[in-house]
Amino acid sequence: MSNFEERLLSALKEEITTRTAEDKMTTTVTQVQRGSRRRLAGLSAAVAGVAAATTAVVLLTGVADNPAYAVTKGTDGSVSVRISAFTDPDGLEAELANAGVKSVVDYLPQGQTCKDPRGEKGSVTGPFSVSVGSAGGGVSFTIEKGRVPAGETLVLAVSKSEDGDDRPPFGVSLTVVKGAVADCEPTSMPVPPAGDGGVTVDKKDDGGAGFDFRTGGEDEGPSLDQKTG
Amino acid sequence: MRLNEDPAAFEAFYRRHVDAVLKFVARRVSDPHLAADLTADIFLAALDSAHTYVPGRGSEIAWLYGVARNVVSAQHRKAAREARATGRVAGRRLMDDDDLVRMEERIDAERRMRSALEAMAGLPEGERAVLELVAIDQLTVTEAAKALGIRQVTARVRLHRARKALENVASPAPVYVEGQA
Repeated sequence: MSNFEERLLSALKEEITTRTAEDKMTTTVTQVQRGSRRRLAGLSAAVAGVAAATTAVVLLTGVADNPAYAVTKGTDGSVSVRISAFTDPDGLEAELANAGVKSVVDYLPQGQTCKDPRGEKGSVTGPFSVSVGSAGGGVSFTIEKGRVPAGETLVLAVSKSEDGDDRPPFGVSLTVVKGAVADCEPTSMPVPPAGDGGVTVDKKDDGGAGFDFRTGGEDEGPSLDQKTG
Repeated sequence: MRLNEDPAAFEAFYRRHVDAVLKFVARRVSDPHLAADLTADIFLAALDSAHTYVPGRGSEIAWLYGVARNVVSAQHRKAAREARATGRVAGRRLMDDDDLVRMEERIDAERRMRSALEAMAGLPEGERAVLELVAIDQLTVTEAAKALGIRQVTARVRLHRARKALENVASPAPVYVEGQA
């Protein structure tokens, strides 16, 4: 092995030692940086082109000055959801119900998601646009009119960041299930590499840890939770 | 795998794969300095995502190529450049003149593969990714599926579509067919 390879090996081994030492010191700054890098490797983002609901009526938000989530009904019948902190899943379900969308919401620790499948695939397929971290750390998505018809349920599973409930999540799975929805059975979630078929990814330009991604093609259904090796 | 905690385990992993990673990079960029940077970035990213590797569920190289693809993607390069300004491991600073010559030789050796990759540029991303890993990087379809985090059957379908699409191109690059072995 040549000089460059040997030198790189030494530098990397040093990096491992340094990192291990830093982990023991639990330097907040370092952890935040590493957290976002990890997500960079895993997630990513095409410009999602979320059709913004024009005139919007805010139905209800959590706490007034620091809402955990906001559910907004657009004039075109779409429902926009913005989650800024992954707390109170039941409250979000209730909000969505008020907006006419039946839902099951689960928030899980980093690296965990719900075991698939949760039920029969929804009748409307196609990509769901989800934007992660663009609005200060949370997740936003829009449910187009008719996307979750009667008898079907929006199923959201979020793998939270270990850095906190209000940090950009480690992973998001958004699907529509027809009929009964199985209870969430937590399972470990391998992160799909960026730029693969099902998930197109691009780093956003508005800085920081913001990512948009678009789930599923025709052959994948509207699900983000693909299995990696 | 405790890659990111155990220097000895990492060294073994590094030695197994450094050559493949250098080739992977040389097939994709023509600037030796950038190639050195990317090689370092790929192993750093492997440390960052070591927790996503599950031993026994797919080969190491498939997982590593998945990581490498992310690193080499243009979006990441931009972010990595910014990170590198303050980073501790910058590949190009580790090269001396001899290394530079050898890196250029590697890049030259992969010239044919780079033009094959260019010929695939028009394919949809999902299809191109599978064809790239199978035809250019010599992974099996199963490994490519694992590297991309997609189902095997999806990978097969995409590979088929990609090959079909390339057949229909007016001036196809025959190189990719030879590459698949």
